[in-house]
Amino acid sequence: MKLRWYWFALLLLPPLLAPALPPFGQRLVILVGVYGLLGIGYQLVFGQLGALNLAQGALFGVGAYAAALAAPTFGPYAFVVAMLAAVVVAAIAVVPILRLRSHYFALATFALAALVNLAALHLESLTGGANGLVGFAAALPRGLPLLAFVWICLNGAVLAQLKFLTPRRAEAAFLIREAPLVAATLGINANRWRFRAFVVGGAVAGLAGGVSAAVSGVVSPDATGFPIMLLCLSSVVLGGARHPVGAVLGAAIAVCLPEAFRQLDGAWLLAYAAATLAVVLWAPQGLAGLIDGPEPRPLPQMPVRLMPSTNGKRIVLRGVKKHFGGVEALAGVSMEVGRGEIVGLVGPNGSGKTTVLNVISGLEPADGGTIELDDRHIERLSAPVIAHAGISRTFQSPLPGEGRLSGVARAVGSGAAFLLFDEPLAGANAQERAELVMLLERLRVAGYGVLIVDHDMALLSKICDRLVSLDRGRVVG
Amino acid sequence: MILNALALGMAYALVALGFVLALNASGAVNFAHGGLVVLGGAAAVLADTWTGLPGPLLLPLVAVMLGAAGMIVARVAILPLLQRPPEATFVATIALAAIIEQSLMLTMGSAPRTAPSLAGSGALEIAGVAVGRQPLAIVLVSALLVAAVWFVLERTQVGRRMRAVAADRAMARAVGIPVARYVLLSLALAGALAGVAGQLLGHQFLIVPTGGSGHMLRAYIAVALGGWGSVPGAVLGALGIGLFETFGAAWLGDAWAEAALYIAVLVVLSMRPQGLFGEPAGRRA
Repeated sequence: MKLRWYWFALLLLPPLLAPALPPFGQRLVILVGVYGLLGIGYQLVFGQLGALNLAQGALFGVGAYAAALAAPTFGPYAFVVAMLAAVVVAAIAVVPILRLRSHYFALATFALAALVNLAALHLESLTGGANGLVGFAAALPRGLPLLAFVWICLNGAVLAQLKFLTPRRAEAAFLIREAPLVAATLGINANRWRFRAFVVGGAVAGLAGGVSAAVSGVVSPDATGFPIMLLCLSSVVLGGARHPVGAVLGAAIAVCLPEAFRQLDGAWLLAYAAATLAVVLWAPQGLAGLIDGPEPRPLPQMPVRLMPSTNGKRIVLRGVKKHFGGVEALAGVSMEVGRGEIVGLVGPNGSGKTTVLNVISGLEPADGGTIELDDRHIERLSAPVIAHAGISRTFQSPLPGEGRLSGVARAVGSGAAFLLFDEPLAGANAQERAELVMLLERLRVAGYGVLIVDHDMALLSKICDRLVSLDRGRVVG
Repeated sequence: MILNALALGMAYALVALGFVLALNASGAVNFAHGGLVVLGGAAAVLADTWTGLPGPLLLPLVAVMLGAAGMIVARVAILPLLQRPPEATFVATIALAAIIEQSLMLTMGSAPRTAPSLAGSGALEIAGVAVGRQPLAIVLVSALLVAAVWFVLERTQVGRRMRAVAADRAMARAVGIPVARYVLLSLALAGALAGVAGQLLGHQFLIVPTGGSGHMLRAYIAVALGGWGSVPGAVLGALGIGLFETFGAAWLGDAWAEAALYIAVLVVLSMRPQGLFGEPAGRRA
C-alpha cells in the first residue's frame, strides 16, 4: 500500500500543533487519536478481510476497564495491561466462531459484545456496576504526554499497516474477502488470517480503550456499549474501510462534528449516520478513497519463469464417489494425472466434470474412494492444505474486473505442480485461446501436470496427451 | 405467567417474522428492523394522541404507517445495494437504524412512553383462571397475523413469487418476476409486522428510542437458531426466546437470563454453524 503525500498532514499536523492549542483542543486531538486507533484495528478485520465483527467496541471497553483496574498498581504500564486484556478476550472468544460466515459471524460477535456489556453492568465487585470506576486517572499520563503517546501509537499503526500490506498480502486479503473459494484453493488459510486480524485488531482496540480511560477519568459500562461499536464502524466506513488513513479521517470527522453541531444536542449523530449511509450508497471506497481518486487493482500476472515449487509426481483417483441428495454425481471415478502431461476431461453437461475438480481440490468431500498424491491420501484434507501439497485450480467464472486468464495466472503463480482448469476457454476470444494453448505447451515442457475441463473437443484433442470421458458420473473412455 | 411468556414470545415472533421476510427478499440482514419496531410503538403513541381511537383500531393505522416506513427502508438501503455483497446492506441498515434512533431521540426525547392497550387492563376469568386481557389480546392478534402471513406465502400467487425471489433472485428475474417490486412488498409487510409488534410490546414494555437494538438482536437470534431463512423456524425461535426470557428471568434473574441467552447463541453457533435446524435454502456459493 502507498500513501499520498498530503495525508501526512493529517497524521503529523494535529500532534505537532497541539501544544499551541487550549486544553480543550488538546483533548479533542487525543480523542481523534483514540478513535483513529480503534478504527485502524477494525480496518484489518472488517476492511481487509470483510468480516463483519461487531465486538470491536466491546474489546475497546475491556481495554478501558483493564487500564482503570491496573493503573493504581502499574502506573503508565496499565496501557500494556489494557492491550493484553483485550488480546486474551479476543483470542479466547474468536476461536470457536472463526469458521462462521458473514451473518453468523456478525451475530456471534454481537452476542459476545452484549455479554461483555452485561459483565460490565453486573460484575459489580470488579467493574463498579452501573457507576463504573473512578479515581484511577492520577496514576496515568495525561495532557501532552498522553497526546504524544497516542499519536505515536497511531502513526506507528498506520505505518505498520502500510508495511504489512504488500501487494501479495493485499491480494490474499482481497481473495478472502471477495472470493473465499479461490483463496482456499490457492492455499490461503482464511481462518488463520481472520484469527490474527481479530486478535491484532483487538490489541489496538484495547490500547485505544486504555487511553480513553485516561482521558475521561471514568470508565462506565457505556465504554462497552453498542454506540462505541457504531462509532467505530461508521468512522471506518466513512473515512474508507481499506484506505491507510481512512480510520484516522473518519475519527477526525467523528470527533470534530459534534463541535460543529454544538447547539443542536445529538443532531451530530444523526448527521454522522446519514453521512455513513450516503458513503455506503455512493462512495464505497470512503471519503479518503474519494479524495485520492480511483486506483485500479493490479491484475494477477503470469509468472515469467514457469517453475513449480512443490513436489509430487502423480494424482491418482480410485473409485471416487459423490452424491448430492439422491443424485449420484460421481459413481466411482478412477483416473490419474501425472507430471508433464495434459489430461482433458470431457463429457456432456452434468456428467460430473466440475465435481471431479471439486473433490480433488478439497472443496467437496468425496463420499467414497481414495485420492492420492503420490503415497499421501488427500481425500480428507482441506482445500488450503491440498493447495499447499501442490494442487491448485481455476473456476468457471472470472472475478469481476478480471479477464479469462487472470484465474489461470493466479493458479500458475501459486507454484502448485498440478493445475486443474475448469473451462478456461468458455467465452474466450481468439487471442486468449492462442495464449492459453501456448501456455499449456510451456506448462507441459516445464513439468506441470494439468487436468483441463472444456467443451471444445477439437482444441482438447490437439493439445491434450490423453482424454478422459465422463458420462453420468462414470468414466466411459 | 405462561400466558405472559406466550404473549412475549408471540410478539417477538411478529418481529422475527418481519425480519426473516426482509432477509429472504434482500438476501441481507436488515439491521434497521429493530428501529422499525420502536418506530411502531412511537407511531402508536402519536396516532393515539392525534385520533384518540381505541387501541384495536390504531393497529391497522400503525401497520399502514410502518408498511410505508418499510418501503422507505427498501428504497434507501436495500434496493440500491442488491448487487453488492450483503455486508453493504448490513452496514447501510446499521446507519439507518442509527438515523431512526437519533430522529426519535430528537423528536420524542429519551423519556419512555407507553403505547395504548389493546383490550384494557385487568384480567378475565376463564374457567376459574385469571387471564390478563392484554397478554391474551397479544397472543390472539399475533397468532392471527402469523397465520395470515403463512396463508399468503403458501397459498397465494403473490406468496409463491415472494418465495421464488427469496430462493433465487437471478432466477426469479429470469422468469419474469419484477424482483424490485417483490422486495418492496416484502419490506412493506416486514414493516407492518414490526409496527404491530411495536404497539403490542409498547404497552407492556416501555418505548425508548434506544430499544431497537434489543429487538433486533432477539429477531436475529431467533432466525439464526431457527435456521437462516426459515419462516416457521423464525417463529419457533422467537417463541423459544420469549419463554426462555420469562422463565429464565424468574429463575435466574434478568441479567443472568440474558447472559444465558447469549451464551446459548454462541454455543449453538460454534457447534452447529448452520443453525439449530439447518439451513433450508442450502449454502449459496
